[in-house]
Amino acid sequence: MDLYRASIMLCGGTGCIASGSQKIKEALEEELLNRGLENEVNVVFTGCNGFCAQGPVMTIYPEGIFYEKFALKDIPEIVEEHFIKGIPVERLMHKDTATKHPLPHMNDIPFFRLQTPWALRNKGLIDPEKIEDYIARDGYFAASKALFEMTPEQIIEEVKRSGLRGRGGAGFPTGLKWELSAKVEAPLKYIICNGDEGDPGAFMDRSIMEGDPHAVLEGMLIGAKAIGSSQGYIYVRAEYPLAVKRLKIAIEQARERGLLGKDILGSGFDFDIEISQGAGAFVCGEASALMRSIEGKRGMPRPKFWRSAVKGLWDRPTVLNNVETFANIPQIILKGADWYRSLGTEKSTGTKVFALSGAIKNIGLVEVPMGTPLRKIIFDIGGGIPKGRKFKAVQLGGPSGGCIPESLLDTPVTFEDIEKTGAIVGSGGMVVMDDLNCMVSVSKFFLEFSTEESCGKCTPCRIGNTILLDLLTKITEGRGEPSDIELIENVSKQVINASLCGLGKTSPNPVLTSLRYFRDEFIEHVEQKWCRTGVCKELCTFFIDPEKCVGCGACSRVCPKNAITGERKKPHKIDQSLCIQCRSCYIKCNFYSIKIGPRSMREELLAQASNQPEQSIQTPLEEVTQ
Amino acid sequence: MIELTINGRKVKGEKGATILATALKNGIYIPNLCYDRRLKPYAGCRLCLVQIEGQRELFAACATQIREGMNVTTDNDAIAEARKTVLEFLLLYHPLDCPICDKAGECKLQDLAFKYGASHSRFSAVRRKDKERLDAPFVERNPNRCVLCGICVGICNEHQGVGALNLIGRGFNTTISPAFEETLDCEFCGQCIDACPVGALGNKEYRHKSRIWYMDEQRLICPFCGCGCTIVVNTREDKIIRARGKEGIGVNSGDLCGRGRFGFDFIYSEKRLTQPMIKKDGSHKAVSWDEAIRFAAEGLSRVKERYGPSAIGGIGSQRCTIEENFMFQYLMRHVIGTDSIDSAARFGYMKVPKAYKKAFGIQYNPINWDSPLKSDFLLVIESDITSTMPVWGLNFIQAKNNGARLVVVDSKETKLARNTKDWIRIPAGHGTTFINALMKVIYDHGLFNQQKARAVRDFDKLADFLSIFPLKQAASELGVDISIIERIARDYAASTHRLIALTVSFTENTKDTNLLLSAANLLLLMGDSHEQLQCPAELCNTLGAYLVGLKPEADGLDAYQMLYKSQQTKALYIMGENPVVIFPDVSTVEKRLRELDFLVVQDIFMTDTALMADVVLPAYAWAEKEGNYISAKGMLQTITKVSSVVGQSMPDWMILRNVAKALTTAPVPSTLSDIRQMALDKIATSTTPQEVSYRFNPVENLILERPDSEYPLTLVTSNVLQHSGALSGLSKNLSAFVPDAFLMINDIDARTYNIKEGKTIRIISRRGNVMIKPLITNEVPQGTVFAPMHFSHARLNTLTYPSVDAGVPLVAVRIEGD
Repeated sequence: MDLYRASIMLCGGTGCIASGSQKIKEALEEELLNRGLENEVNVVFTGCNGFCAQGPVMTIYPEGIFYEKFALKDIPEIVEEHFIKGIPVERLMHKDTATKHPLPHMNDIPFFRLQTPWALRNKGLIDPEKIEDYIARDGYFAASKALFEMTPEQIIEEVKRSGLRGRGGAGFPTGLKWELSAKVEAPLKYIICNGDEGDPGAFMDRSIMEGDPHAVLEGMLIGAKAIGSSQGYIYVRAEYPLAVKRLKIAIEQARERGLLGKDILGSGFDFDIEISQGAGAFVCGEASALMRSIEGKRGMPRPKFWRSAVKGLWDRPTVLNNVETFANIPQIILKGADWYRSLGTEKSTGTKVFALSGAIKNIGLVEVPMGTPLRKIIFDIGGGIPKGRKFKAVQLGGPSGGCIPESLLDTPVTFEDIEKTGAIVGSGGMVVMDDLNCMVSVSKFFLEFSTEESCGKCTPCRIGNTILLDLLTKITEGRGEPSDIELIENVSKQVINASLCGLGKTSPNPVLTSLRYFRDEFIEHVEQKWCRTGVCKELCTFFIDPEKCVGCGACSRVCPKNAITGERKKPHKIDQSLCIQCRSCYIKCNFYSIKIGPRSMREELLAQASNQPEQSIQTPLEEVTQ
Repeated sequence: MIELTINGRKVKGEKGATILATALKNGIYIPNLCYDRRLKPYAGCRLCLVQIEGQRELFAACATQIREGMNVTTDNDAIAEARKTVLEFLLLYHPLDCPICDKAGECKLQDLAFKYGASHSRFSAVRRKDKERLDAPFVERNPNRCVLCGICVGICNEHQGVGALNLIGRGFNTTISPAFEETLDCEFCGQCIDACPVGALGNKEYRHKSRIWYMDEQRLICPFCGCGCTIVVNTREDKIIRARGKEGIGVNSGDLCGRGRFGFDFIYSEKRLTQPMIKKDGSHKAVSWDEAIRFAAEGLSRVKERYGPSAIGGIGSQRCTIEENFMFQYLMRHVIGTDSIDSAARFGYMKVPKAYKKAFGIQYNPINWDSPLKSDFLLVIESDITSTMPVWGLNFIQAKNNGARLVVVDSKETKLARNTKDWIRIPAGHGTTFINALMKVIYDHGLFNQQKARAVRDFDKLADFLSIFPLKQAASELGVDISIIERIARDYAASTHRLIALTVSFTENTKDTNLLLSAANLLLLMGDSHEQLQCPAELCNTLGAYLVGLKPEADGLDAYQMLYKSQQTKALYIMGENPVVIFPDVSTVEKRLRELDFLVVQDIFMTDTALMADVVLPAYAWAEKEGNYISAKGMLQTITKVSSVVGQSMPDWMILRNVAKALTTAPVPSTLSDIRQMALDKIATSTTPQEVSYRFNPVENLILERPDSEYPLTLVTSNVLQHSGALSGLSKNLSAFVPDAFLMINDIDARTYNIKEGKTIRIISRRGNVMIKPLITNEVPQGTVFAPMHFSHARLNTLTYPSVDAGVPLVAVRIEGD
């Protein structure tokens, strides 16, 4: 094995590849070659590091120096300074939010320091395309333990005792699921890994599949031994080509080393895995629809007439678990159930990976013990809301979840506590929203998603959601009536009541939780015809508060219609006849001098403008916004 | 049985049954739109939601199995609210065009709206305005009315094994359509039409013909194949307007094939005979009944006087009732005094009793309708069962869906072949070789039932035969890998409920008695009983005709001897049969008919045979008369008169009686009920259970004509699904769909002989040649061409030749482009 004096762990996750890390890798290698360092410095293209917002990122070992947001042009400097002169490049390091001081080591950065990565334990540390890297990190130790030292009953008992619950969203105890399936006697059973991650804002599973594919394979192998399955499938959405590629490589490597296939490691146990790709339907993340999709049929959920533990894929006993669930298994087997239970809370054990996105500084992947309060995740690890804006809500659980308001930010993230808020932990997508978000429009967005992704099989989901979406569209377009809110609640109730599968049964959740915590906004929309955030164009009038305006002119420069005029250092004015409610000025203004009033104001202002062009404007609402 | 409570009432249901099925069986109605007894639970409409005690959520009754002690409430405020909302959802987008919808009056959605009174909607929406699709034959589609219950898709894919329809798109934009929104192109069974709960799928022939409530509903037995399905017909002013199946009624319980559903209109053909006619100076002239009967009687008497009674022969009909056939054989046997009586079954089903006699010692063996469902290994040998017996054939698909192994051995890609992963393509007519090869493997590996097989007579003969049977040579002749034969043989032997099924039809030339005997050998080798060989009688009354004596019972000639072998027959009385089209080698048949001194034809149409007759007697058709059929499963079923009669036609039995009266002064049975009683008495003696006596009959695969350099192709003749013999050819509906004969040819052969679709070709055998349109398809293998036999003008039987015993009458042909 070659020894290097330094290793560059360059992130090769989808996010960093998007910001050019593939080219950077080539440039790095070329530069190292040019400087004669190719035998001294090793470049490893790792899986997702998790700190996606700062991409491209890399960590240089043995020191653990972390560089972020560098570009191709920085490569010669990094090689020159870091590797030849031995001086780390400060300007490419992460800076402390408060002091602006560089934080050279990865573990100095709160984003990393406050995490507990177990499912993501290999992130940024291994080359996902090399099985040796995985094995070097104790990979397949758990599998061999399970194969040679444990009976299926012992594996199931360990997993049951660990309290691990399905990480895909429903939180069903994994050990119990395996036990049910192990009890069914059949010549052929299937074990499926659900990698059809489809919630908007969720990318945990993708990162695991891309960054640590062998952890998934090992988890499946252990599961296969537990239930007595000889064939596994990984169902990956076709939108994850990198995950597919790396899983394929991993499967091939595992086969070559006798870790998959016939008589694994000479244990007499046979198990192999195939990859099945989805075709872009969200509903195929639902267990029965996923199985139909693998069968080559139309991906539609079927009623739970038979449990899939008895009749699943091709009507044979089948166990389906999520990517993250499988990634947790090896460590549970290796370190034991008690260790796992020591993480998290009593009913929600272990750690959970969340994908932070939206209006948050540190967009990326975080893994924390269950029970960590939302506030800690969003503010301490996530770094809070950028650009000094205010936190408004955090969306958990995607189209099946809901928006949690500021007042509930101390809720610990456990299955039970989050459910009490009306949202769900779900697969772990956390979309943070600041005060620029209109909660009616957010509800509409999620409903649009569900309506579009409904398979069309059952009436309540197919038509009920269409009706809900129509009602919300009506409200956001200014045609809402007070009775519509009650109608939304009523229809939602029946859609939840009568739908066939999880998609329909949960699709009204986002609108219901928004109604629970942000009802005033809905009422403002229908009664005052006012969208306080300015998102619903038909429901707002933008105007400048002369008291607050300093006349900097920033607004007039961003206005695409040149509707804002005014002398420098004097209050500006919006010409309502030109304004198209694009909200650019509102977002741009650093002095919060641009206000949003209801639509009715526009007519008044227009009338005023034509009658008394010089008179100052009276704000019809006492405190309009902010 | 499981006991549960529904709405406070204790009811019982079978284990594994759903709440909905159990409730409906017990007379408790739960609203539903997407439930169909024949399909797996779909649970899409969400109308059948019920409350189960102890459960928080509502459950779909159609997809929840009953459990002991379960307490179910089918209606309460919460359920009613959910149901009403679902209905409101559906009606919001369903066009309320009931006034012009053919389904109105029997529409499930209409009934539910009526029941739940969802006339006012809280929402407003723009309804879809998709175009109505009238481009396909038989089936019209109106996507706007569709409630996406998915039944048509399930019926087409799961139940019918066709897969022409599916859900397209997703969410609100889901529609049901053939692939790529193309024109529907399927077998047109029309099952989807009957299954559609609303007016989204309609019967095009019924379109805007009549409102439901103006029609009478009556039941008839289908006049086509031997399934004996009950057709529920709607009539108005004594005319059949529509036909369909109805759940719970008849052996078919709701299922029908395209022939049964659309083919009834043959009785309204313009070609119906309306008057008796006699041939004078080479052309037919209409005469009175008196004159026609006198003319017929005189003609027959003349021949009898000159050559004796045995010079007169009779050919009856597998499509006429038992009463008519009884009277026919009575006239022949007891009035004229000849035993030369037969039917077209001579070239088809009659091979079955012949082989049964040899192998099992019995002759009468009706099929067991449910046998495929009770078997776990179904071996179908060179038989397109879903074409010849379409509704019985569904049981084979159902059995396969239930998990049974379906092995189809056929040269042609039949529907059953498409529905199984075990389709073994062998050269046409080689079924016996295949079965022998299976037996060889089973015998060599000792997989047979040692005790039972050794007890059967002539086991030694079979053992000798098998011990020297050349398996390798057989495999290469079959073009099947030995490992496949071995696998099938082992699996066959290892299964517990085996079934061999094959049809023997007069239109098929790939089978002979040897095939039946080898099948019998195989099942006796496994220690199975004769009931595990299922060979259905092919037409609606094939079995009945056979049982009332439509066959020589003493020294008489059979149809083969009368028409091909001997010159003894000088006069023929043909009832309801058209030998000039239907019988093999029609040139010989025509020549023989021309040589006759006297020919009487009694039919409903002016057939090609009738054109040669000295006297033509017009008869009532199906639906115009009363009588009984005996179906392939041996069930006696009554048909009644529902349609008005045509011209001066008379019931067959009455014509026969009148001829009998004109021939003799002795008393003859004179009323229909007398005849029926005598017929039933005779049937009772023929169906008395007999002692079986099993015997092995080792047989070789005997092919009578093989391709050579001059005639390099093999012609296979058979049925097509949409036609069944002479009647269907006169159905306007069916003929509009499959209007003309065609020759299916593999695309490699098509290239070899430079054949293009749309260009007529000439097909030549040793006996003659015909012109035909080619249809290039890989449903048939290279070297074999396939043609259906039901088109009189095509005269495909010019090419064929008869075989009534051992010997597969394959036809060697060559093709010439025109």
